[in-house]
Amino acid sequence: MSLEIKNLHVRIEEREILHGVDLTVEKGQTHALMGPNGSGKSTLANTIMGNPNYEVTDGQILFNGEDITEADPDERARAGLFMAFQYPATIPGVSVANFLRLAVNARRDEPMKVKDFGKFMRENVDMLKIDPSFVSRYLNEGFSGGEKKRAEILQMAMLKPEIAVLDETDSGLDIDALRVVADGVNALTGPDLGSLIITHYTRILNYVRPQFVHIMLDGRVVREGGPELADELEEKGYDFVREEVAAGNA
Amino acid sequence: MPEATTGTTWLDDLRAEALKAYEAEPVPTWRRSGFWTTSLRDLDLDALETRHYELSDIPPPALADALGEDEVGAIIVQRGATTIHVEVAPELTEHGVIVCSLETAVKEHPDLVREWYMRRLSHEEGKFAAAAAAFWTGGVFIYVPKDVKVERPIQTAYVIDEPGVAQYAHTLAIVGENSECSIREYCLGTAIDGQALHAGAFELYARPGSNVRLAHFHDWGPDEIYDISTKRVEIARDAHVDWVPVHLGGRLVKQVLDIVTAEQGSDMRHTGLYFTERDEHLDLFTTDRHEQGHTTGDTVWKGALTGNSRASYEGLIHIVPNAQESHTYLQTHQMLLSQKAKGDAIPSLIVETDSVSASHGGTVGELDEEQIFYMMSRGISRPEAVRVLVEGYFEEVVQRLSDEGMKGLVRQRIARKLEAAEDQVAEFIDSRVRVDKTAPPAEVAP
Repeated sequence: MSLEIKNLHVRIEEREILHGVDLTVEKGQTHALMGPNGSGKSTLANTIMGNPNYEVTDGQILFNGEDITEADPDERARAGLFMAFQYPATIPGVSVANFLRLAVNARRDEPMKVKDFGKFMRENVDMLKIDPSFVSRYLNEGFSGGEKKRAEILQMAMLKPEIAVLDETDSGLDIDALRVVADGVNALTGPDLGSLIITHYTRILNYVRPQFVHIMLDGRVVREGGPELADELEEKGYDFVREEVAAGNA
Repeated sequence: MPEATTGTTWLDDLRAEALKAYEAEPVPTWRRSGFWTTSLRDLDLDALETRHYELSDIPPPALADALGEDEVGAIIVQRGATTIHVEVAPELTEHGVIVCSLETAVKEHPDLVREWYMRRLSHEEGKFAAAAAAFWTGGVFIYVPKDVKVERPIQTAYVIDEPGVAQYAHTLAIVGENSECSIREYCLGTAIDGQALHAGAFELYARPGSNVRLAHFHDWGPDEIYDISTKRVEIARDAHVDWVPVHLGGRLVKQVLDIVTAEQGSDMRHTGLYFTERDEHLDLFTTDRHEQGHTTGDTVWKGALTGNSRASYEGLIHIVPNAQESHTYLQTHQMLLSQKAKGDAIPSLIVETDSVSASHGGTVGELDEEQIFYMMSRGISRPEAVRVLVEGYFEEVVQRLSDEGMKGLVRQRIARKLEAAEDQVAEFIDSRVRVDKTAPPAEVAP
């Protein structure tokens, strides 16, 4: 059970953003992908999920050994992939509850009974300490940054993916909201979930401890290691990594 | 030629004048700057006739499918030229509420009809306004006396279910001081093999302090039914009208919808919806007219287009001189769902006084690719995502329909139209994505 990215080259419009990325996330593992703005982190997340605006020009994405490089996003999702968006879209006129029911039923042969679904949703809302009235609001319409992230985590909890990519899940959050999101991620982390947390800052890593850390610069993964790598980055910053890489290449 | 006399002198005089106006006017073509033209060149007017039918104990099938299941206060149905079915709950009659054909009202309530008939409408508003005024038969008369709250809806219906029919219609509604009621008018057509015409007039007078919920549901069906109508609503002092017109089908529909806040404290909410498909042509012009100060309005119109359809919505806010302290807002959105559909959504403003607030906005857009991707990333298929997004887009308007039956009906018909257009919508979305993917590869610097 894994997500394998092999030599991935990605272009958006006419510009190549990823120049050959290799990365593997196994079920049960927590990975952090770190990098400065513009390094290609969000491009990688979007490409993993199959955003049609990103074109793979070389390389492969394998999910549980199967090549999904050309698969539509909904097929990937139904296979067990999930992405928490940095900027989730607003869906006017569709309540959180209705959206969740659509998404949950999309991966089932028989739709869940309304009553069972209600119970299932309540359990997750309680677990994530979300205000029950939240689910009757239109998805992401007028949501604060924290509410948007909470809606993403709630979807992740209910869709039970095998592998989740969390794109800048900590961006734009105050410390309380960050803690709520981190608690949610921690509650879902376990042997049944592999996650790739994509972040610019190290602050979410104060709450969620990854086993593996990857550093991305200019469309390439330039350094990999254990959690100590995040601590080193916190201390020395991206410029240090950049200089180190330049020196190594010289 | 349809019958032009009613046996009532004042009315026959008006009809004779209207007939003169009708005969003097050529068949119009409406043009607006830009690409927009509404033309009747495909309508064979001379081949149409007014047609009478037998009375019926039950509403016709076309209507039965559309009506909600809630308890009806009154129902009146006109098929072709004939009022075929009238039903009024005794509790309405007990409170002095009148629901009958306009023909009957002319005979039985002549003073009331004469006082209000065409107060705000004129046969000089074009050939088809003249035709409706000269030729109407049947028609609907609704009168709610003062201080009466009617809980159950008053439902009226105009039905066309045969080709070759010209239906001239007139609804006159008066809701008395401090009264409350809900009026729903259905304009329904079935599949017919040929052409038909509905030329209609609608007028509602909401008297001081009254509160009226008004809905118009139009679905003229998949064939060649034309509708050229004028609807006008007048709101008196401290009265409120919530008006929801819905347009879901017809070969060519050209309507003028005006709402007039006529006295201080009058307030309106006007929320419209349309969905055009195939070769349909829809031309709507609404006016939010403020005739006195301290009046308020809120207008939202939303539409979607598939197939080769054409839809134009033009919404005017007009605040006349001395109507200070009027506050109003008009917003219109249009969503294109096929490559060949063409639309227009134009808000405009005439303000002839100071110290008012009036704002307006209009958008013509397409489905947002990011929203579709977001939904697909949750496992929802593309057609399902499109359906949910379009339904969500309309939900704001659907929510304003007071009645569950009509909400369900609108949702169901929109879902059916989307399903019918599934392939072309998918093609449209794909074509936009492919533009990005076929972009030539970047030149690599040596």
